[in-house]
Amino acid sequence: MTGFNWRRVLAPLLLSVLLLVTGCTPKAPSQFSQAQQESTRKGAQPAVAKNAEQGSSFNKFFPKAGDGYERVFTQEKKGFSEAKLKKDGKDMAMLSISDTISLPVAAKKFENSTTKIAGYPAMEIGNTQTALLVANRYQVKVLSRDPSFTSADRKAWIQKFDLNGLSRLK
Amino acid sequence: MSKPIYELVDELPTGGLTVMALRSLDFVIPGQWQNLVGFVNTIRTVTGETDESLIQQIGDRAVYLYNDKSQGYQRAMWLYQTVDSAATALGYAAAANKVGEGISFLGFLDKLTPKPEKAQSIDLSVKLVTELVAFCQINGIPGDSIGDFLAALGDYSGESLMRMAALVCFDGLIPLGPSFIEKALSTLGALSPSELEHNQTFKGVGELIPGNDSAGKLNFITQSFDSVKGWMSDFVSSKGLTQENVVDNLMKFVDVSKDKLDYLGAFLDITVKYYSHTGTQTLARRLIERAVAEI
Repeated sequence: MTGFNWRRVLAPLLLSVLLLVTGCTPKAPSQFSQAQQESTRKGAQPAVAKNAEQGSSFNKFFPKAGDGYERVFTQEKKGFSEAKLKKDGKDMAMLSISDTISLPVAAKKFENSTTKIAGYPAMEIGNTQTALLVANRYQVKVLSRDPSFTSADRKAWIQKFDLNGLSRLK
Repeated sequence: MSKPIYELVDELPTGGLTVMALRSLDFVIPGQWQNLVGFVNTIRTVTGETDESLIQQIGDRAVYLYNDKSQGYQRAMWLYQTVDSAATALGYAAAANKVGEGISFLGFLDKLTPKPEKAQSIDLSVKLVTELVAFCQINGIPGDSIGDFLAALGDYSGESLMRMAALVCFDGLIPLGPSFIEKALSTLGALSPSELEHNQTFKGVGELIPGNDSAGKLNFITQSFDSVKGWMSDFVSSKGLTQENVVDNLMKFVDVSKDKLDYLGAFLDITVKYYSHTGTQTLARRLIERAVAEI
C-alpha cells in the first residue's frame, strides 16, 4: 500500500495556483503597441526614407549664436538636424530641421494652417512648439525648454534660420 | 526580436543597488540626475507637452525611429547593455572561483575577486570608448570623430553626465585609486593587441569599436582615452573627488565597508548596471527629442 504523497501533489498544486494568479492579471497592452507592431512587421516602412536629405546639409541654415545665447549642435541624422540654445549654462530651446519626406503627415498638417511666418505656412503646436514648412518639404521648429523662452521668442528665432537658403536646397 | 523601447524605459527600476549607487553620486553633480523612468513620463518631462494625443504621436514616432535599424539606436542600446553584462559575467566567473576561500566582507563579498589592475584599466578604457561609439550611434556624428565628442562632452548633462561620473568613480577611482588615469594610459601603452582580445569587456563590444583589426582598435582606444584624460582629470579635481569621499557617500546608500577597496570595485562591477540604466535614459531622451521635432 502506498501512502498519500503530499510532495507529489504540492508542486503541481502550487504551479496551478501560480498560473491562475498570474493568468488573471494580464499585462494591459501598451498604448504604443500598435506602433511597435506596425514598425516591426515584415516589409514595414522604415522610419527614415531612403531619399531623405542628410542632416549635415541642414546645418548651415541654422541661426548663429548671439544675444547671449550659445548654440550647440546635438543631433545630426539622416533627415534631421538639431541644435540646442543655451543661456548662462541653461537649456532654453531646441532648434530643428527635418525632412518630411519620411513622415508626410508632418507636412500635411500645414494644409490647415492659416498663419504665415516670413511667408511660410506656420503653426503653434502644443505648449512648446512653433513650426513652419519650407518648400513644402522641410519642417523647421523651435521648441521651448524653459518657461522663460516664450512663444514670441520662438517666433523671433525661427526667422533667424536661413529659410530662403533652405527653400533652395536640392 | 528586441524589446520595444517603451518596455525598456517602463521597466527601469526606481530602487535597488544600481539606483542607490548612482544616487550616492549626487554629491558629485548635485541635482543633475533624477532617475527619470517610464516612457510616457519621460515624454512629458523631456518635451513639456501635456496633450494626450500629442504624447501619443511623439511616442509612436519614437517607437518607429527606434525600430528603424539604419538609425543606430538599437546598436547603441546593445552597446550600453553589453558593456554592463560583460562586466557582470566576468564578476560572476570570478565569484565562482573564489567560493569558500573565506574572505569575509559583508557576506556577499567573500564570493568576490578583485580584478587585476590591468583588467580594470582595460575595462575603464573600453567603457569610455563604448560611450564614444554609442554617442555617435545615437546622435549621428561619424563614429571616429573624437573632436565632436569632446565638444559634446562639455555639454553632457543629466543621465549622461551621471554615467560619466559613475565611470570615473566606480571604474576609475575606487578600483584603481587617484592615479587611475595614468594607470590606464600606461596599461594601454604596454598592451598587445592579443591581450586586448582576451579582455572580457572588449570581447563584448569590440566589434563596434572603430579599427580594422585589434591593433587598430587598440590604437583607437588609446587615442580616445588620451583625448578625454584632460576632461576626466578636470572633473576629478573640480569636484574634489577622492576615493574616500566617493566611498563615504556610497556607504550612506549601499551597505558596504571601507576596507578592501579592490573588493568594493568587484562588488560594484557585478551589482551595478549603470551603463544600461542611464544609457536607456539617454537614448529615450534623444529619441523623444527627435520625435517631437519631426512630427
